[in-house]
Amino acid sequence: MRRLDDQRYIRQTILPEIGPDGQEALACACVLIAGVGGLGSITCLYLAAAGIGHIKIADGDVVELSNLNRQIIHSEAFLGQPKTISAAIRIKALNSHVRVTPVQERITHFNIDGLLKDVNIIVDGSDNYETRQVLNRASLRHELPFVYGGVQGFNAMVSSFIPGQTACFECIVRGPGIPSDTSPGIIGPTAGIAASFQAMETIKLILGIGKTLKNRMLRISGLDMRLHSLKLVPNPECKACGRI
Amino acid sequence: MMVHLNGIKEIIPEGMTIKTLIEWAKEGDPHLIVEQNGTYIYPSSYDTQSVFENDVIEFINPNLGG
Ligand SMILES: [Zn+2]
Repeated sequence: MRRLDDQRYIRQTILPEIGPDGQEALACACVLIAGVGGLGSITCLYLAAAGIGHIKIADGDVVELSNLNRQIIHSEAFLGQPKTISAAIRIKALNSHVRVTPVQERITHFNIDGLLKDVNIIVDGSDNYETRQVLNRASLRHELPFVYGGVQGFNAMVSSFIPGQTACFECIVRGPGIPSDTSPGIIGPTAGIAASFQAMETIKLILGIGKTLKNRMLRISGLDMRLHSLKLVPNPECKACGRI
Repeated sequence: MMVHLNGIKEIIPEGMTIKTLIEWAKEGDPHLIVEQNGTYIYPSSYDTQSVFENDVIEFINPNLGG
């Protein structure tokens, strides 16, 4: 590790759970941030700051003014610009040693396998059921952990779906719910809280430390400050993880 | 009998299952997540999973924004 990086990471390498070996593991890791909106904004920055070696960011959108109440990796200067470029520039400004691969594409069944080349963990930053279904199926196919986060209003959910060890996303979330014509409301800290938990989960999964959200769904209510852990069990009728 | 449904004490008829409780509560989301006493209940169990006095039940609409 370079001398500069010794200082950069000193406050985490002094933690016995991490140490120099853990820092090296983070530097060797490659993470896909699947969407750089409210969730991806925060996971990108915390993972880059922690020294994840390679961050791939995939998103097909451009920065809009209505994003900026929560998508704090972006700024007014990048309105109308691709989100992946805006995010990549900010990540490199924070930690120039991180390799960043921006992919300005919407994630689909057609491109996901290519996006996952060299990736160790999929971090959910999407904003709809269909993309999460793509990510979940790819997680199962490639046997990669899928760190789910979802937000709405003041509420958030986070879980880590590990193929072969836990329920999968589709075991628990079976569809998009009641369709709506309008975008749901959200206050920025909701995304920040969920994404911070996702970043923590990602780091723990890479390092193999702590107790992760395997077979647990953390539910957070920001309005009344309640955290609740729901015990998950694989759904024997799940069409995705093939336990039938 | 009394159950805690989404954090509120509710008096419900005796002998209910999760399926009949969903109907009783007029929950319209077909992709609802059901939690009974801290554990996820999968949908194929709804019509056999009984509801008991003092159960803590949550009907959860998944958060899918990002
Ligand atoms: Zn499954």
